[in-house]
Amino acid sequence: MALFLVLWEIISRSGLVDPLFISSPVRVVRTGTASLASGEIWADLKVSGVEFLLGYVGAAAVAIPLGLAMGWSKRLQYIFGPFVDTLNAVPRVTLLPLIIIWLGIGIWSKVAVVFLGAVIPILINTQSGVKTNEARFIKVARSFGASELKVFVTIILPGTVPFIFTGLKYGAGRALLGVVVGELYASTAGVGHLIADAGNTFQTDVVFFGVLIFTASGLVTVAILDRFERRFENWRPKVGAAA
Amino acid sequence: MIAPQGFYSRHERAILGVGAIVLFLAFWEGLERGWWSDLLQPVIGAEAERWRIKPIFISSPALITQAAYRMFFVTGEIWRDLGLSGLEFVLGIAIAITIGIPLGLAAGWYRPLSHAVAPFLSALNATPQVAFLPLIIIWIGSGFATKIIIIVLLAVLPIAINAQAAVRTTDPRLIKVADSFGAGEWLLFRSIILPSAVPFLLAGLRLAIGRGMIGIVVGEVYGSSGGIGMMISQAGSRFQTDKVFVGVLTIVAAGVILVEVLRRIERRVEVWRP
Repeated sequence: MALFLVLWEIISRSGLVDPLFISSPVRVVRTGTASLASGEIWADLKVSGVEFLLGYVGAAAVAIPLGLAMGWSKRLQYIFGPFVDTLNAVPRVTLLPLIIIWLGIGIWSKVAVVFLGAVIPILINTQSGVKTNEARFIKVARSFGASELKVFVTIILPGTVPFIFTGLKYGAGRALLGVVVGELYASTAGVGHLIADAGNTFQTDVVFFGVLIFTASGLVTVAILDRFERRFENWRPKVGAAA
Repeated sequence: MIAPQGFYSRHERAILGVGAIVLFLAFWEGLERGWWSDLLQPVIGAEAERWRIKPIFISSPALITQAAYRMFFVTGEIWRDLGLSGLEFVLGIAIAITIGIPLGLAAGWYRPLSHAVAPFLSALNATPQVAFLPLIIIWIGSGFATKIIIIVLLAVLPIAINAQAAVRTTDPRLIKVADSFGAGEWLLFRSIILPSAVPFLLAGLRLAIGRGMIGIVVGEVYGSSGGIGMMISQAGSRFQTDKVFVGVLTIVAAGVILVEVLRRIERRVEVWRP
């Protein structure tokens, strides 16, 4: 990694390739600190962050209950299954032109894209998580006369948590993709808008800095989810690499 | 459990599934044609007009079918776009495979290489690769090559990561046995690692197909001369909602067919496995 960065810097400094095209690590860092210090980036960060959070939290709020219900009730699965499968087969970014017709180029079209991107992986994972619950546990609970609610709360829900988190992590990647594509396509503000603008005006350093912001936010989101997951998973006996 | 009795219980799944889809399509068609607003008119009066929605917003199943028929069989305008996008897709995926599989296998097999490659892989994986699009356009403009590069960039990661994981999860006992019988590295690789890696490679390919589809659409949005993605975004900016839906459905159909083909291949390659 260090070798790569040094090589990049050297090539850029030596004038082998015009820095206009490839920028250089030092330039990227300088641009980054400058724009953080001057505060011009915060507005874009805020817009992108709000889009991401609204869409993602909305997706989780819809997908987890619906996924649990679909995993639990066969009828619901029969009814909603075809829609989920169809939507899963659609690359959601192709719906952008439609969403823009419906919601305009403001923040809400991006929220919708983020939502659509994240909702499917979370839903599918949650649903399959419910199905893979240990059947013996459920049988034992039933034979001791546990109510449906009790079975659900004490067995199904804890057993499904790892699947929900896998879906959430997967969904986070999709949500970020939604922010980028949505803002590249049509927007008035946001980090994706910043990247597109900087690209059009050949400010390569700014483009790289914008891309780095997305990388960082992807890593941070996954790290946060990992931490939550560990908290929920304390009780589970450790297996394999975690032991 | 008693065996299900009666027509309904035997076909419950099909009935509920098909019923839900038919209801959904009817509701949609009705919104566009104003069935619901006519129906609600006596009950809630002028409020009912809300249930009539202009076709430029939502189109309708019938309009979409008509547009699809026209574009495929009457004017045939979609074939040129389909051909161009198809070519981009095939080239992009082919390049992604030729880079991704050897790189992933090598990174899974040689520890130093894996350490060297890992930070790049995880950083790239955390970035939405589409964000590189403006950079690629600065480097090589917005032509045919740009679209191929964005498809490669999107598709190569799942392929490489799965190939790497495949080598790591090879049964170590098999490798030990082969080692103790003096198998060379090449023989070991060809007769043990590669066959056991196939399902992972195909799974990676399946992910890559989905990513490649995104690549087509996103890459073509930026000033291109044709292709399905271009067609979708142009139709969108002209409010030709039915055409947008036709484009989206075409991509979905292509994706479903490709994944199905892959599944066939998988079954064929995997017959030896117990």
